[in-house]
Amino acid sequence: MKRRTITEGRETSDTGYPQQPASHAPKKTLPVLLAGFIVAFNCYLFQVAAFSQSDENSQTTVTTSNSNELNESTGSALKPEQEIAALKKEELELAERLMKDFPDSINPIMLMGNLWERHGDATRAMEYFNKVLEQDPKRPDVYKSIGWFYMNKEQYEQAIAYWQKALEIDPEITGVHHDIALALMGLNRQDQAIEELEKDVRISTDSSSSYFLLGQLYLQQKDYEKAESNYKKAIEIKPNYPNAYYGLFTLSAKLKQQDKAKEYMAMFKKLKAEDMNALKRVNETVNDLADMRKGAAETYLLAGKMYQDGGNLQKAEELLKKATTLDPNNILCLGKLASLYITTNRITDAIQQYNRISEIDPKDPVCHLNIGILSMRLKQLGAAEKAFRKVIEVAPEISGGYRELAQLYLRAGKGFPEARELAEKAVALEPTALNYFVLCWACDMNGDSQNAIKAILQAMQLEPANLKYRNVYEHIKSRN
Amino acid sequence: MSILRAGIKATSSTKGRHPRMKFGFSFAVIILLLYSYSEALADSPILLRDVTNQTGITFVHTDGGSGLHYVMETVSAGLALFDYDCDGDIDIYFLNGAPLKGTEVDIAPKNALYRNEGNWKFTDVTEKAGIGDRGYGLGVAVGDYDNDGDPDIYLNNYGPNVLYRNNSDGTFTDVTKKAGVDNGFNVGAGTCFLDIDKDGDLDLYVSVYLEFSYEKNVTLTTKGFPVYANPRYYPPLPDFLYRNNGDGTFTDISKSSGVGNHAGWGMGIVCCDYDNDGDTDVFIGNDVAENFLFQNDGTGKFEEVALMSATAYDSQGDEQGSMGVDCGDYDNDGFLDFYVTSYQGQLATLYRNLGNGMFEDVTLVTGSGAGTLPNVTWGNSFVDFDYNGFRDIFVACGHLQDNVEKFDDTTTYTARNILLMNTGDGKFIDVSDQSGDGMKIKLSSRGAGFDDLDNDGDVDVVIQNSRREPTILRNDSPSKGHWLQVRLQGVKTNRDGIGAHVKVVSGDLTLIDEVHSGRGYQSHYGSRLYFGLGSHDKVDRIEVSWIGGGIDIFENVTVDKIVTLIEGQGTGTQVNSLR
Repeated sequence: MKRRTITEGRETSDTGYPQQPASHAPKKTLPVLLAGFIVAFNCYLFQVAAFSQSDENSQTTVTTSNSNELNESTGSALKPEQEIAALKKEELELAERLMKDFPDSINPIMLMGNLWERHGDATRAMEYFNKVLEQDPKRPDVYKSIGWFYMNKEQYEQAIAYWQKALEIDPEITGVHHDIALALMGLNRQDQAIEELEKDVRISTDSSSSYFLLGQLYLQQKDYEKAESNYKKAIEIKPNYPNAYYGLFTLSAKLKQQDKAKEYMAMFKKLKAEDMNALKRVNETVNDLADMRKGAAETYLLAGKMYQDGGNLQKAEELLKKATTLDPNNILCLGKLASLYITTNRITDAIQQYNRISEIDPKDPVCHLNIGILSMRLKQLGAAEKAFRKVIEVAPEISGGYRELAQLYLRAGKGFPEARELAEKAVALEPTALNYFVLCWACDMNGDSQNAIKAILQAMQLEPANLKYRNVYEHIKSRN
Repeated sequence: MSILRAGIKATSSTKGRHPRMKFGFSFAVIILLLYSYSEALADSPILLRDVTNQTGITFVHTDGGSGLHYVMETVSAGLALFDYDCDGDIDIYFLNGAPLKGTEVDIAPKNALYRNEGNWKFTDVTEKAGIGDRGYGLGVAVGDYDNDGDPDIYLNNYGPNVLYRNNSDGTFTDVTKKAGVDNGFNVGAGTCFLDIDKDGDLDLYVSVYLEFSYEKNVTLTTKGFPVYANPRYYPPLPDFLYRNNGDGTFTDISKSSGVGNHAGWGMGIVCCDYDNDGDTDVFIGNDVAENFLFQNDGTGKFEEVALMSATAYDSQGDEQGSMGVDCGDYDNDGFLDFYVTSYQGQLATLYRNLGNGMFEDVTLVTGSGAGTLPNVTWGNSFVDFDYNGFRDIFVACGHLQDNVEKFDDTTTYTARNILLMNTGDGKFIDVSDQSGDGMKIKLSSRGAGFDDLDNDGDVDVVIQNSRREPTILRNDSPSKGHWLQVRLQGVKTNRDGIGAHVKVVSGDLTLIDEVHSGRGYQSHYGSRLYFGLGSHDKVDRIEVSWIGGGIDIFENVTVDKIVTLIEGQGTGTQVNSLR
């Protein structure tokens, strides 16, 4: 699942005070001048009234690091195996350094455990996971990992014990009841396995695997009705689930329902053939070095986050750059680096990262939104407009694109009717305080004070503590 | 399984008043504890002892590799247990690899035949016998294809296959060309002799693993370590079926029989009459894909029915990395069940024959996969080691990635083998830890054979280990039940009785078995049949249904001996009866 941080600018809506377009018009009559002044003043007021949240991080100056650790071109002279060995060594060294630099944090210990696990040394990984638990026994994710260590060794009872600890901490943790059921099935404790799976589907209503396993167990217990209904639920959730069709085929064959058995068998065969083809394609694209680089990129990303949270932005940048070099298509790494650049007021560099994200995932609305907002900061209105329009194109169901484009027009002092339409659309999609605020602004710029007041009242209702909304309301009211 | 692995805890209480008494009492308690501990350790009724060093066997397997990771290096090889010189004891034939491209050797390795001299002594007679094939050995089957009274041997190699005809004088002749069964240049796997059309001579099933050429060899790494590519990187191929023409030659009927229409990554195979309809069917364990079950229509035409019979996949519908396959009636219900070994992360699978043409994966409910999950498993068989009337399961283990610990420490290249004891109520428990030093050996095993090597009545074990010496295990199980060994001699039907179905009835105990040629992991063993009778001290009747022949009944057979049953010499012979 992709996660990205959204630039602060977006959340606060207004990332600056755009300059009013300089008026290049010749001498105008007073009404026109006055109107122009009012427009300008209103724009200014809205800018002041809008959310403007100062950067949380200090504006440190970040110099581009020329550290030798930044290895832009990894291992061009090395064989893949040598490069992988070098990567592993660097990762381990990084993890060791993290443990020294953050001695009070368990994150580096957890990172080291994950690192060893990824490199196939589960025994060492367990050592670190247990260290994490010594410091923080309330880590259900760690108990979950250790459980799988034992499960893979066919030590079912130990696996169950660890998974139950995870549940004691977080009874709603997803997937653990399912895993316990697997171990219970290994021990042939079917009734208990059923209980666990029933619990799992109450927590994870979309767990096709749990429904499938329930089908399997009920089939073995000759409860054919329940077997069938569970297989079918599995298919409802995951229509291309060959195992569930195999279950239905087996069931129908047992019940001598020949026609159904044939139908399910045919479906199973079709899906199985697709799976095999998919596996073949996977085989064709397997690239050990690329996979190892991706894994290493995750390590550098996590390390970069730690240093950034710790205030060492220079180190953070170095590590995040390394991460993006190792895995140029890792959107999380690019997003994090962009976030760092924003923090250090390097907007152009931040835009570059978001542009890269948009190349990887052109349908991602957030990166386009960020490009637009940051372009606005740089007063690159053309680029901003293009980006906001892209947001609307790829994600017409979210309000951000409409709102931001509306704001762009309002700040630019043009396209007020279109701005209003856009703001109305934003409100219709998501009636948030911010959207209402922009609608208020747009209505006001279109000379519709009545609706402007209605809109700002809505905003105030949604965020009563927001003084800026109150200011705008008072201003409009006083004018009228 | 977990109960047996829990270890044995002993408690003691030593409150003595006087120092001397206290010491004496403590000493006695210690002795008692040690005795109890050793007794508890020896509690398994099955005991397999490692006698390799005393046998004189010096064979060492080579996979012919030189670090270039050719796929066939991982799957070599099987072995054969059979009485090559018909002197009444079981000899051993080891398959060997051969130098692959890039490997240079001073002396080319070859297969090796060891004659059983008795008393656990074996002599290398390879040269004398003329059976030291230097091809890349993978699978082997033994059968008297020319019905002249002695066992012949077929090798399924990487490269041309070989048919050795037994000359009846301790020597063999390579008659491959004449017979027409060299099978081109394929990567072989399991192979079996069987009488597909019930005409009295042995036909030949030859499995092919995959399509390979040096030019298309796939090299991979995992976490930076060079590894063997899995078979999916190589196209699957159909198997071959040769019909015996009765004159020393064979005809390729792969396509017309139906078996040649299904491509797979064939590995272990076993031939048996799974549906009790009087003909021999074929089960093929396909690596990384669905298994095949070829149902014989009685005339040598086959229909693939694995999916319909629920033997293609495991209970969840997942394909397995099938390696070896054997059959046996583990629950004594009169139907042959299948046991299929597999890859790491998968349980070996027990398919229970339901008797109606269908099977059920009962691995979890029987515990018959215990110990197999972290291992790669290969040779296997249903053997009643303690003769209590219930067949146990032996599984040979060993990874195929020789550097696996470097990138996955949850498994190991060398591994201990597994012994699953049949508890008699449809379940198995892992008794590997309690069954003698023979079960503590850690090598990378492949083929395994099971026969009575010392003619003391019980079944011993021979294991082929990759790149190493073999393991020979003597069955020293302390308290065995009564037993009966059956040798068949066909007269009108094939001489070895291959495919014949034998039913032994002793009081309330009814046991069945069949003579197979080629089984387990690409190996051959068990030309004699072994029946454990428990406390039953006589056999009421033995029914032998000959493939393509009638039924012979032998009554009131005394136990604890080897009997030879000759076709036509039984009483109550019936012609063309179905079971």
